[in-house]
Amino acid sequence: MNTTPDHGPEQRRLRDRSAVVLLLGLLLLMPPLAIVFHLETKIAGIPFTLVYLFGVWAILILAAMRISRRMQDDEQSVEDRE
Amino acid sequence: MLSVDLVLLVCGVYVALLFAIAFFVDRRTRQGRMQWLHSPVIYTLSISVYCTSWTFYGAVGSAARNGLEFITIYLGPTLVFIGWWWLLRKLVRIGRRNRITSIADLISSRFGKSPSLAVLVTLIALVATTPYIALQLQSMTRAYLLIAAESDGTKVAFWIAAGMAVFTILFGTRNLDANERHHGVVAAIAVEAIVKLFALIAVGIFAVYGIASGFGDVFNDVPAEVVYGGDEIFGPRWVALTFLSATAIICLPRQFQVTVVENIDERHLSTASWLFPLYLFGMSIFIMPIAIVGLKVLPATANPDLYVLTLPLSEGREELALLAFLGGFSSATSMVIVAAIAVSTMVSNHVVMPVALNFMSSGREVSGDVRSLLLTSRRISIAVVLGLGFLYFQLSGGSGALASIGLIAFTGVAQLLPSLIGGIFWRGATRSGALAGMIAGFLLWAYTLFLPSFEGAFLLSASVLQDGPWGIEFLRPQALFGLTELDPLVHALIWSVGINLVLFLTVSVASEPRSLERLQSALFVDVFRIDAGEAASFAPASASAEDLFILAQRILGTTPARRLFDEMVRTQGGTSGLPMPTEAVIARLERELAGSVGAASAHAMVARIASDRTVGMTELIDIADETQQLIETSRQLSEKSVELEQTAVQLRKANDRLRILDAQKDEFLTQVSHELRTPMTSIRSFSEILLGGDEVGDTDRRRFISIIQDESLRLTRLLDEILDISRLEAGTADLPTMPVDTNAAVNSVLASISGLIQDNGIRIDFEASLPAPVVNANPDRLHQVLVNLLSNAVKYNQAADPEIKIRLGQVATDVLIDVIDNGGGISQAEAEIVFQKFIRGERANVNQGAGLGLPISRAIMRTMGGDLTAEFTSDGRSFFRARLTAAGTGTTSAAAAMPAVQTTS
Repeated sequence: MNTTPDHGPEQRRLRDRSAVVLLLGLLLLMPPLAIVFHLETKIAGIPFTLVYLFGVWAILILAAMRISRRMQDDEQSVEDRE
Repeated sequence: MLSVDLVLLVCGVYVALLFAIAFFVDRRTRQGRMQWLHSPVIYTLSISVYCTSWTFYGAVGSAARNGLEFITIYLGPTLVFIGWWWLLRKLVRIGRRNRITSIADLISSRFGKSPSLAVLVTLIALVATTPYIALQLQSMTRAYLLIAAESDGTKVAFWIAAGMAVFTILFGTRNLDANERHHGVVAAIAVEAIVKLFALIAVGIFAVYGIASGFGDVFNDVPAEVVYGGDEIFGPRWVALTFLSATAIICLPRQFQVTVVENIDERHLSTASWLFPLYLFGMSIFIMPIAIVGLKVLPATANPDLYVLTLPLSEGREELALLAFLGGFSSATSMVIVAAIAVSTMVSNHVVMPVALNFMSSGREVSGDVRSLLLTSRRISIAVVLGLGFLYFQLSGGSGALASIGLIAFTGVAQLLPSLIGGIFWRGATRSGALAGMIAGFLLWAYTLFLPSFEGAFLLSASVLQDGPWGIEFLRPQALFGLTELDPLVHALIWSVGINLVLFLTVSVASEPRSLERLQSALFVDVFRIDAGEAASFAPASASAEDLFILAQRILGTTPARRLFDEMVRTQGGTSGLPMPTEAVIARLERELAGSVGAASAHAMVARIASDRTVGMTELIDIADETQQLIETSRQLSEKSVELEQTAVQLRKANDRLRILDAQKDEFLTQVSHELRTPMTSIRSFSEILLGGDEVGDTDRRRFISIIQDESLRLTRLLDEILDISRLEAGTADLPTMPVDTNAAVNSVLASISGLIQDNGIRIDFEASLPAPVVNANPDRLHQVLVNLLSNAVKYNQAADPEIKIRLGQVATDVLIDVIDNGGGISQAEAEIVFQKFIRGERANVNQGAGLGLPISRAIMRTMGGDLTAEFTSDGRSFFRARLTAAGTGTTSAAAAMPAVQTTS
């Protein structure tokens, strides 16, 4: 049975961090900010908005990956201590 | 052209392969040798059952029709996984703790194991899943028709549906796991997830680099509205679709099945939090290019929903087309299998079981009969689910765009969201609120979105859709209450979820939860704060162990039931037989059964045989208060023990003190007897002589009588003194005080003992101080004390040149009278002893008084609010100091306030 403490300080901080990532994602991907980045230009021949959306998406994934790594390290260290 | 036989053969081999994997994994898992399966990657791949043929075929079609909008379907789940995984973790924890088998089970469990709620959720899930299954049928049928160049969709769709039903029954209901986990199915789905991702990326790369020459070329000359699907891409529809897809990843029955029910380790979620979005990213990245290349290359008559298949075919790449077909086949089959398993579990647990229970109670009870009934009902349910899907496909004409059909399903399951989220985060949510919200939301969804999707073919006629029922425009399904400006999907979403949420909240606030609801709400909302194991032990019940065993046998089968009961016996410390039917055992059994038949049914079954004692409100409050009380009690206990310790210390001190006082009392009595005895002895002997005869001469007789009189006087004085000190020490002596001039007092004493002074040739050094300190004192008693002090100083002074110095002083409100002599004084050790009764200083002669002078003097001084102490000068000489309070300083009543004087310690 997994007994990962839910209320450890590190866990809580990581939870807060992912909440911030979520908010950032919502801000960047939803109007009105998404409209601001809705430009008519192209990057390397690809429409800007397409690049923008996938770019934000990739950044979100990277951020989630970092948080997840930290969480696994934390859980590992908790297990080692036990 | 791709041969139909080849396609069918490949599909057959592929299905056989999946079976082999599932079979192999199931067997290895039973042997406990499937560790690599417990990996977060497998878990994540199984979650990708989210990507169905809607994604595989439909996303390209959506991109070709509406541009970038298709991305929202993947952004919603991405946001949930990267930012709200702790919601999913809470669901997983609750699911594991309560042996949750489905989303209907979770919601009904949360709201007091309500059967009606379970039926409602099952109904919503069933109806909402139907279009979704139809979508898979439609995409597979079209793909097949394309390859086989046929046109009769109905027959093909029927056979596909039938094939899928058999497939799912074989896959999903081979056994009835206690945890409702399907390891084999999960492994097969993971394989399918890889196949569909690989196929889509392969087609994407072919489209970008095989047909076009790179991304730049793809988007060359493409008008912006094709990419963005109109001017208002980031409008209400964008937000609504993101919300819907985020909701779907939480609420879809099949997503709940793979994310929560099939979860093996909570920690896998943290990997899935980025790996699943990455998978979605991979699935989406080539969608837009494929759509645009398709629009450019293929004729306008080609169905955009099949571009993934037609692009390779049009270029003559048959092997790629085959791979694409296989990818689509994988997407569709994985969705159908998991959705059918999830929905059939709900139907059999929450609809069939309660009905069957009523019929079976009268019939014979055979081991495993419920179990076989469950399996049968699940198999039939799977067939029914697929049958409904086929029916929907038939009724809707199989013509709609895939994405729009999928969105109907999404909006349907979104009706579960308020109750689900509210249920696990808000203790105040009630069953009535959930029922009201979901019923209203479901009806509105059906009216504004689901029924209109048949375009007049089912229940709502075309005229009703156009003009409203009975011609009332106000009630037009797609413009309810005159809301005409909105997109039909956004319109339906706002009405259904909006009203659902409002009703859920208001009815919850207005209604009173039942006791079991209160208990469950605490267990769900505070799942991270409550330890495992104690959770279900709250429900008090009693039943016979035999009845419980029979019940377990009927549901789990003989062997698993025997194993479970043996384990419970061992837990109780026994070796054989049946366990004691304690509340813990009953709760455990209910939990185990819930893993097979759902919480509501398990609760109902156990409640049937367990004495039907429902948990009363007061009991619940007691349970809730118990912990609080325990904490309070232990706190009080620790306080009390500290208190007790302190009391014990005080008692020990008091005891010691009593012992000392007792010893002092004995000593005092001995001393008194001794002091009385001396004069008594002489009185007795002289009186005996006098009585003895006549030979005593007259002179002697007179002398003897005077001795007797002296001794009697001495005896009387002694008794007076003892009486005096007793009264003083008991605090009963009444010493009225008045302002006394200390100069006058000292002078009067000196005058009264002037004879004694002169006899001993002692020099008195006394200077009256001006102005004279005035003290509060009883003049007679002060006189007595001073006489005692001075006469002591005279009597014990053995210096060659005896001198007594009397010094008056005032420190703040204290007036000090020091009597200093040069007679050698007393030692530090004697300083306290001399104030004890019957103790005389080392230099005293035996017959110099009873030794009560100083104790009496001290008692007098203390009674008058002052004190008498032995002090020492800096060069070690001793002197006596009488301290009194200066008159007019407000402590004139000190005498009354002084407690009984204690001589020594």
